[in-house]
Amino acid sequence: MIPNDTHIQSDKGTSLWEDAWIKLRKNRLALIGLSLLIFLCIMSLLTPWIAPYGYEEQDLLMGATPPSAQHWLGTDIFGRDMLTRIMWGGRVSLMVGFIATAVALAIGVIYGAVAGYVGGRVDAAMMRLVDILYALPFMIFIILLMVVFGRNLLLLFFAIGAVEWLTMARIVRGQVMSLRKQEFVEAAHSLGLSQWIIIRRHIIPNTLGPVIVYTTLTIPSVMLLEAFLSFLGLGIQPPQSSWGLLINYGVETMEEYPWLLIFPGIALSLTLFALNFLGDGLRDALDPRTSKD
Amino acid sequence: MTFHFKGCNDQHQTSLSNFSLKVILAFGVLLGLAGCGSPETNVEEGNRTGVLHWGNGTEPQSLDPHIATGVPEHHIIMALMEGLMHKDSDTLGPTPGVAESWTVSDDGRVYTFKLRDNARWSNGDEHNAHDFVWSWWRALQPALGNLYAYMYFPILNAREYYRGDITDFSKVGVKALDDLTLQVTLNNPTPYFLQLLDHYSMYPVHKGTVEKFGAPDERGTRWTYAGNLVGNGPFKLATWEINRAIEVERNTFYWGNDDVKLNKIIFYPTENLTTEERMFRAGQLHYTNEVPIDKVETYRAANDPALKLTPYLGTYYYRINVNEPHLQDKRVRRALGMTIDRQQITEHVTKAGQLPAYAMTPPNTRGYYPPVGLSFDPEGARQLLAEAGYPNGEGFPTTEILYNTNEGHRKVAVAIQQMWREHLNIDVKLLNQEWKVYLDSESNGDYQISRAGWIGDYVDPNNFLDMFICNGGNNRTGWCNEEYDRLVLDVAPRAKTHDARMAIFTQAEQMLMDDMPVLPIYTYTTKHLVHPSVKNLSENILDQQSYRELYLEGSQD
Repeated sequence: MIPNDTHIQSDKGTSLWEDAWIKLRKNRLALIGLSLLIFLCIMSLLTPWIAPYGYEEQDLLMGATPPSAQHWLGTDIFGRDMLTRIMWGGRVSLMVGFIATAVALAIGVIYGAVAGYVGGRVDAAMMRLVDILYALPFMIFIILLMVVFGRNLLLLFFAIGAVEWLTMARIVRGQVMSLRKQEFVEAAHSLGLSQWIIIRRHIIPNTLGPVIVYTTLTIPSVMLLEAFLSFLGLGIQPPQSSWGLLINYGVETMEEYPWLLIFPGIALSLTLFALNFLGDGLRDALDPRTSKD
Repeated sequence: MTFHFKGCNDQHQTSLSNFSLKVILAFGVLLGLAGCGSPETNVEEGNRTGVLHWGNGTEPQSLDPHIATGVPEHHIIMALMEGLMHKDSDTLGPTPGVAESWTVSDDGRVYTFKLRDNARWSNGDEHNAHDFVWSWWRALQPALGNLYAYMYFPILNAREYYRGDITDFSKVGVKALDDLTLQVTLNNPTPYFLQLLDHYSMYPVHKGTVEKFGAPDERGTRWTYAGNLVGNGPFKLATWEINRAIEVERNTFYWGNDDVKLNKIIFYPTENLTTEERMFRAGQLHYTNEVPIDKVETYRAANDPALKLTPYLGTYYYRINVNEPHLQDKRVRRALGMTIDRQQITEHVTKAGQLPAYAMTPPNTRGYYPPVGLSFDPEGARQLLAEAGYPNGEGFPTTEILYNTNEGHRKVAVAIQQMWREHLNIDVKLLNQEWKVYLDSESNGDYQISRAGWIGDYVDPNNFLDMFICNGGNNRTGWCNEEYDRLVLDVAPRAKTHDARMAIFTQAEQMLMDDMPVLPIYTYTTKHLVHPSVKNLSENILDQQSYRELYLEGSQD
């Protein structure tokens, strides 16, 4: 994607992405994380066909039962199969995690890069806007959005993304400000490259490290935010569920029926571990400063 | 920090899990409240200083007795104000309140109350019969939007005045004969009239305060705020922190102040039952408003004396908005009612000894047994739904069940949602709202099906049936039947004997259940956790505690 000739520091003729892939393959933990994520995504995609029961099928007479041969992860108080519910919940949670984070990423990186690169009054104005939005309780903002546009799952994802980009914008801005004064950027300037190309080819790739780390932190936090909103009646509603909600319900009965908390908890933690390992690996792999070794 | 946790741990021999819970609570839920900040827990400190820590379930909608309609509001208003009468907390029979004594005329229509001369408002003002006349006049102003206005209808001409048929309030049957004598004339002898007088909708309000903050019939003025509110009850409002706590403290002007034992009551609006139960275990509450469904069994298995389960004169039901196009047809409503398996809900979802309800009035309300209006019959229900134009649920619009945020309500709704899906093949969604928002949505008819509960205000079937009169403030379903109104409002009060009166109620309830604007689900049980130091707690079917009589005993001595 990025032509070789602009990759100033490399003499091997491989692009940044090729480099990254080679390095990532050497990182076992990151590969485990990646495969786990791919596995979870595939499971979620296939849930409607492979889930052992319907997610809303109740058996009140049976009620909450511990794991057994029929129900590998037990059943909840309505006698619903937990494995099925965790699989369906994963669809919602992964979706909100990826969509909301992607929205936050797109807005935050572009906004922060522009502010940091242009600097001066534009930067001051843009950052004051961020400050104001920070001061605004995000809950009110999301609730307002939901009230105005109605309760729609996709909208909820975007709404969460739209409030999560602020920190991202600040991180990127800080990075960009320090990068902008570096020699290779000056060199690109003197070669007559346009501002946009400099931002795209030199600045953004150099900010990827912190951005990726922060992204892996954003995904779990939006998953939990979704659970919170759903609990208030603004997100998804029963009988649908998500990991966050399952955990929320599990906490209510953790002394009586611990498996209702443990299994969704494991599902969420595994995802977070996978994301963290992958994020770590990607940061090392993508950092242009470590590319010559 | 280390010191104070050590202090906590030393004082009670808490198990490790309790201890860690306390740490979590101290940091999280109760940050800022007097929790483990001192070496004592709330309960221990309260036992020493006479402060009762009371779980109240939710933030009250209003503390104006002529506007409030809910049980959480009732618990607080009862501490702040009182009516002419009280109820004996065991027998529920009438005992003197502001009225010292009373006489009833031979025909049972004229009540003459002698008010006590030492009754005072909490600011020291004189409290007399004119306060009642003015307060009842206020409660009947249509602009006030008093949803309980129909409680006054037994009084001569009250209904006519409320409707605007007459405009002269002096024609209404309430008169102050002199400063301390109040005469009330009724339309008919009303066997439950004295009980009504202990209901907050008939409490007096302080004229000077109400008028200081707005017109008498203006809703939501600041007169009920802490610092403003003047009441005549055993306690006065000290502070009101939204979603935190409401504190009431001893009212030294109260006529019975010498007998009041508590110095202060703190009401906590804890909507989350799990949190409330943990607060109780951590010694933050003396009394919980509820017990989480799944904890009932745990406490029962451990034979814990803190768990109090008592029959409750109340019906848990679903309201149907009969103005919704697809819910206008009574066959649809009946089909919905016939596919709720109440036995399963009470045995496997609510699990605290509730009884399946097949009619609005709880059985044995003053000797009244309601007619059995419906049964669990999925086959018949499907047929009815098909007749109404939705064979096998086809074309039936997605319907929403509204409930106020609470785990218990959610569980019942989830079970019913699935029953309807399974038996009728219709799509049902759930929507939860915070208490105040939920009450507004319901009153404004902004819902399709909504969770509701009706708790007896007094022990008489009338209380469960007269709320469904046309446009009654607590009807909220849009259902209206002139013949029903006539039976409940005109025929029943004139009945000569108890049996004849009950027979009329049976007939009326039959009509209600036939049209089914409401789906009764179960008869309530109250579930509380009560700390053993709380004494004189009464167990009655109205779940009414008399704060004047409660006292705390140090658990250590």
